[in-house]
Amino acid sequence: MLDFMDNVQNAFYEASHWNVDNSYGALNATARALLDFQTPKGLRLQISSLAAPNFATSYTLGSVGVVDGSVSYLYSSLPLRGRFKSSDLDLHNVIKGYRHLQKLRRPDEDWWWEVWHSGKRIDRRDTLLYGRIFLPQSTLEALYLRRLSPTKQLKISAVSSSSLNNGGTILALLQNDVGKYSTEYMYSTDSVLMGVRGLYNFGPDPRVAPTIPVTAQEIAEPVHGRFSAGAELYYGLLNKSGGISTGLRFTTLPNHTGFPYTMTLTLNPLMGNLSSTYAVKAGQNLALCSRIDFNFYSYESELQLGCELWRRRRNTDIEWAVKKLRPDWKQPNVAPDEDVSGILKARVDQNWKIGVLWEGRIKELLFTLGASLDLKKREQIIRAVGIELQYSS
Amino acid sequence: MAFNFNWSPLIADTSRAREMLTTALNKSPKPPIIVDDIIVTELNLGSTPPELEILEIGDLAEDRFRGIFKMSYTGNAFLTLKTKVQANPLNTYLSTKPDFASPQPLAAASGLVIPLQITLSDIRLSGFVILVFSKQKGITLVFRNDPLESLKVSSTFDSIPFVRDYLQREIEGQLRVLFMEDLPAIIHRLSLRLWSPEYQELETEQRLDGMKDAAAPIDPLSTPPQDAVDAFGNPLDESQISSLSRDPTSEVHASFSQKNILHLTALSESQRTLSLFTPSIREAVFRAWAGQPDRNESGSNTPALTQSSLSRIQSTFGSMKSASSSVASGSTGNDTQSSRPTLSSNYSAPAGLNLGANRLRTHPMRKRKKRVVNLRRDRDGGESSGVSTEANTPAPSTNVSETASVIHEEREKEEELVTPPKSPVKQGLRFEGKHGSLDVGEPGRVSKKSSAEGLLPAPLLADPSRLSKSKQKAKVSTPLIIEEPEKEKKMASGRPPLSHNHLRRTRQTTSPLLRSLSLDKVSTLSSGSRLSVPPHSYTENTSSSGGILEQAWMLKMAQEIARKVQEEKEKEAYRDRESSPSPNPQGLFHPQPQSTSKRGGIWAQDEDDAPPAYVA
Repeated sequence: MLDFMDNVQNAFYEASHWNVDNSYGALNATARALLDFQTPKGLRLQISSLAAPNFATSYTLGSVGVVDGSVSYLYSSLPLRGRFKSSDLDLHNVIKGYRHLQKLRRPDEDWWWEVWHSGKRIDRRDTLLYGRIFLPQSTLEALYLRRLSPTKQLKISAVSSSSLNNGGTILALLQNDVGKYSTEYMYSTDSVLMGVRGLYNFGPDPRVAPTIPVTAQEIAEPVHGRFSAGAELYYGLLNKSGGISTGLRFTTLPNHTGFPYTMTLTLNPLMGNLSSTYAVKAGQNLALCSRIDFNFYSYESELQLGCELWRRRRNTDIEWAVKKLRPDWKQPNVAPDEDVSGILKARVDQNWKIGVLWEGRIKELLFTLGASLDLKKREQIIRAVGIELQYSS
Repeated sequence: MAFNFNWSPLIADTSRAREMLTTALNKSPKPPIIVDDIIVTELNLGSTPPELEILEIGDLAEDRFRGIFKMSYTGNAFLTLKTKVQANPLNTYLSTKPDFASPQPLAAASGLVIPLQITLSDIRLSGFVILVFSKQKGITLVFRNDPLESLKVSSTFDSIPFVRDYLQREIEGQLRVLFMEDLPAIIHRLSLRLWSPEYQELETEQRLDGMKDAAAPIDPLSTPPQDAVDAFGNPLDESQISSLSRDPTSEVHASFSQKNILHLTALSESQRTLSLFTPSIREAVFRAWAGQPDRNESGSNTPALTQSSLSRIQSTFGSMKSASSSVASGSTGNDTQSSRPTLSSNYSAPAGLNLGANRLRTHPMRKRKKRVVNLRRDRDGGESSGVSTEANTPAPSTNVSETASVIHEEREKEEELVTPPKSPVKQGLRFEGKHGSLDVGEPGRVSKKSSAEGLLPAPLLADPSRLSKSKQKAKVSTPLIIEEPEKEKKMASGRPPLSHNHLRRTRQTTSPLLRSLSLDKVSTLSSGSRLSVPPHSYTENTSSSGGILEQAWMLKMAQEIARKVQEEKEKEAYRDRESSPSPNPQGLFHPQPQSTSKRGGIWAQDEDDAPPAYVA
């Protein structure tokens, strides 16, 4: 389940029309959400609040052997008007599952953002500031996010901790997203790592789409999928080592009539790592995902399977009545997550390492129950168990 | 005599050694690049044995051995390790970084785990090895210095220079740790398994328990001996061990006046010569100052009177060692006679303190056979210092290491190194110059002789110049070799005349006093104990770790001693030059090649009266 602060950040992206999915880093977000989810350890409590539309606070208290916690504050120059109360937020916003990509938006024009007042431009760049201090480790996380322009965003994140070399590290990330393609440039002070990432979407360019006349063929065969390709390149100046990878993705768009599915293929040519994922949303409540890793240098392979299941409450009292409803009768419009009793996520790999997550909402609390198991180790099957509780207002 | 090392059986079965190496290598936290256990797959000791040069043999018997070797190895041994490494530098780099500020690459950080095979060959070793062997306690082998000179690391990644260099560097570092810390533990364990059936059983149990600390590191310098036994093989209890391990160096700093120290030294030396209460141990050889604890032993068990007199002697040693940390006691100005009555009261207090090893003397009359053979050449002296010795250690051995460490610390000064003689000195005592040795006769004999001829009155004691001179000589000599008189006489011919005449005289002078104090009791005691404790009991006493422990203490103390003694000696020399114009020809020190005397010494001694066990 997403952290409250992450949720707020996502809301900021949304409010500032930034497409998080259109980045090479998010190429296999679906597979990661379904296969690489974190299982909680120990007990963790989080109380958060969006006190004002621009300001959020969050406190966490954790207990894994020792009691630790964190305090975080967030400021956004852009008023955030989403639903963040734990009692009524949309569970789809906080539960990462199958990412259903939307049609590419045409980026805002620069002049859309301009605000003129009596002959002067008075608009400001949207900015988000975030800080979090972990106690008692005295680790500080800080984030500075600025929308430089409708197609540009600067993200500077820093961690200060005595356990790190030089006491901390800073990562600067400059992102460009014009819809058709996106590029990212990054610089990390740690070992002077520099990186470039790019993603290119095949198909119609959202920027020019309106000007091209629609042909008859396009109407007959509407585009119901998107093919994307990307690459990334890193080089650390100090340790003179780098990394490279390329990736492909095909995903169905909402106008696809069958099951939505996403396929990705990533390749690390340096390390010979080939990874392919296939995720399918088999129904409204079920998503399945598989991933096969193969290394053609070491011939090592790995298989992971995962699923996400939304379990909905059935009201048995009125079920018989619902059955008797005529199909053409409109069902009363209820909140989409009203009847969700919980979401089950599970993954298993070829070594019989299992991760299980049960998330949901009880009254006004969001809860996450998780366990990771290792069936190969007979003496210690349960590796970790944890529960997280979140409350936000 | 020569040692015959049989190298081939060592080559035969290395499975156990492999196992232990594996454990040792996986003990320390591994760098993130290593993602699997390090497994030793092949271990071949090669056909060329290491070359061992004997520098010093501290103890030698059928079932125990202690010595210092200079080892050099240029053989064809090789070792093959197998592990898995993460070949993606980005992966290892990111694994240690916090997620929040991580670039979070999509697939560029995907891991490539490569099985890695490393072969270490062309190992060049050169170092000083301290080897202590006892049948009961196994083998303790300690490297005095970092023995690794060079080695060749060949691996799967030889074609990539960066990786190759990295591996070479890392492995050399790991191996240094292995040699200095893990290997001694492994060898000790192996030897225990070989010789001690109890340990075998014990270990089997342990292994059943999970073999958790299979290669628990033995840090001889910080931990007390884990299985200490005393001279009789009885396990020492905690308090005794702690007293052994925690004797602070400061204890030897007794407050003495310079002058009194000189007096007392002379006194004690003479006493040693007479060795009234030195247990006469057959086949025992004492290092020049190694005899002190022995007497302490006996002294601690003698009734009060004797004890005090003994402790006085002890205290002189202590003061000698700390050489004039002179907060003068009241008797500073006195001559020996006058101070005599007060001596015991003045100096008995520090007596118990002057040697940490003394505390161990709970069992009276621990007679031990000590043969200290110093084959050390001058330049080697430093390295051979740590004659690490036996565990709960009999004082003689501690003294041995003490001497050695003095030399080590004061290497550059070795020429003029002065160490106070502390062993029971007897008729045949010989003090030598710079590299000379202090030879001490067999105590038993000494007592006989002394009773016969040592009855001279003590007027000479009043002669401070003599005393100081002789004492100085005694100090100047590096008392490393203790030989039997016969031997010594042989050697003496090739030597410049030395100070033993003076020493003898001074010894004789003090004898009445000592005798009056303790002769009867001590002698009876010593003889009784001699009967009761057969020499064999000592063999069980040689344990390994405690000696190292003491060695650390001794090392510290020896530094102190050497420094002070040096100062004192310089002072003395200055005074001599000024005040005593009559140079005693016998007192001159002639540096002499030490090795000849030493070698001759020990072997001759063996021929003379060594028990069958010693005849190598």
